[in-house]
Amino acid sequence: MIFIITYIAVGIGLFIFMAFFTLYAVYSERKIAGFVQDRLGPMETGKFGLLQTVADILKLVQKEFIMPSRADKVLFSVAPVLIFVSVYLGMVAMPWAPELSPSSLNIGLFYVISIISVEAVGVLMAGWGSNNKFALLGAMRSVAQIVSYEIPAGISLISVVMITQSLNLQEITAQQGVLTTSSAKFLGLWEVGDVGGFLAWNVFQAPHLLLAFVIYFLSSLAECNRAPFDIPEAESELVAGYHTEYTGLRFAFFFLAEYCMMFLVAMIAVVLFLGGWNSLLPNIGTLRLADWTTGMGWGIFWVLSKTLFLVSIQIVIRWTLPRLRVDQLMALCWKVLTPLAFACMVISGIWRLWVMI
Amino acid sequence: MAIELFVFYFLAFIAVGSAALLVAMRNIVRSLFLFFLTLFALAGLYVFALADFVALAQVIIYVGGVLVLMLFAFMLSNKTLLNDVKEGTFGLPRWPALLVVILLGTIMGYTFLQFASAPPQWIRDAEQENRIITTTDNTVHYLGVNTMTRYLLPFELVSVFLMMALMGAAHMARKGGKS
Repeated sequence: MIFIITYIAVGIGLFIFMAFFTLYAVYSERKIAGFVQDRLGPMETGKFGLLQTVADILKLVQKEFIMPSRADKVLFSVAPVLIFVSVYLGMVAMPWAPELSPSSLNIGLFYVISIISVEAVGVLMAGWGSNNKFALLGAMRSVAQIVSYEIPAGISLISVVMITQSLNLQEITAQQGVLTTSSAKFLGLWEVGDVGGFLAWNVFQAPHLLLAFVIYFLSSLAECNRAPFDIPEAESELVAGYHTEYTGLRFAFFFLAEYCMMFLVAMIAVVLFLGGWNSLLPNIGTLRLADWTTGMGWGIFWVLSKTLFLVSIQIVIRWTLPRLRVDQLMALCWKVLTPLAFACMVISGIWRLWVMI
Repeated sequence: MAIELFVFYFLAFIAVGSAALLVAMRNIVRSLFLFFLTLFALAGLYVFALADFVALAQVIIYVGGVLVLMLFAFMLSNKTLLNDVKEGTFGLPRWPALLVVILLGTIMGYTFLQFASAPPQWIRDAEQENRIITTTDNTVHYLGVNTMTRYLLPFELVSVFLMMALMGAAHMARKGGKS
């Protein structure tokens, strides 16, 4: 019985964490936008405007549920929940520290990729359920983009899996630091299994994984519909997108899903490429920095700080780059990222056979 | 044990119930979304059969791919065609479906009874030699090794076949003109 209570507690804890993260990611998004555009951002509510997003969510909760009269009632109300749940379920397999992950699945990575793909169904459901042609067109755009960008993202992840030979996210992480049981080589030359630190991260274990990381990062931006790939909801040029008709708490769910998705894709990138819960600091001679900074608390600290760093890069990109046109978006996906991802995969095979032996 | 049994029957109920509702429903979009529920419940049942890889492959291929494709096809096709589908004027009588269902049901029931009374030799052998997959086994490993050794030829054939389908689709989707 006790393990069921633990599972439920872990689930609720993750949900609270994600809600809290969303609140303050929105806040930091507005602050960073302010910084980029040389203004202050929210300042009035609370110290430095810290309570601004709390006030926003209170406002959203109080709003009326408006249901379009000709909408498909069931699909309309299920869609936001489905989208959020599909992203939230992805958190199940993510490792937080050595021996600490909600569920250490043997096929963790495959699970995360497949459960994220459910989001597309939710988006279509929202678009169709609204019974609004702009919402439907927005959903189509969004799904076309998500489905297309899943290919380069998936292939670049496969090129990592070919190097690590495991789909278990805990194992993949453990191979990138001092706790490795096999060998970890910096650029395939220098054995860094007991040096650890950033030298043993996957991006440095094989040079082409740096390219795979960039490909994955770009396509993950497109998968969570973030700028510069935010055509599905380009508010300044088009009618919003699949969530046009949504109000109140249901709209808040879309927001929650978007920010959870940002966190999730950043965390996948961190786990697969940037060492997960492994320390940034290497062992230097007798100064055992990596050994000291690896453990339960440190693991959570590292994975969280790396993930938040990537999320903040996503936010800066959103406020810096102009958005792509839809044909440029698809050309980038199919003519640049996908071939490059395939090249990465081939190099991974060669690397595994000839360099790592 | 009780919880596993409960979850199993819950998933089975959802799978069967949603499939029945899917066939009976007149609203095509809703039945497509119900198909999603059926596929998901089936994936859960695969997990119960310790086929976790198959379950996830089902989710990623059918839910993430085929179902989205079906929804797209539905949403992009014109209304008169859809009305034809709704009214069942495709000219297909219903009795073949009933026949297929009854025959399949008979076969499945017969096999179930057979297995229950006398399990085949290979199952008893495996049980005796303790060659049983447990919940913590890394099934992907076995799958990978088997695909790359014993089933390499079928695997390659399927991949060539899929490649042909892809090239054909790309060729047909290309705009006509310079020919």
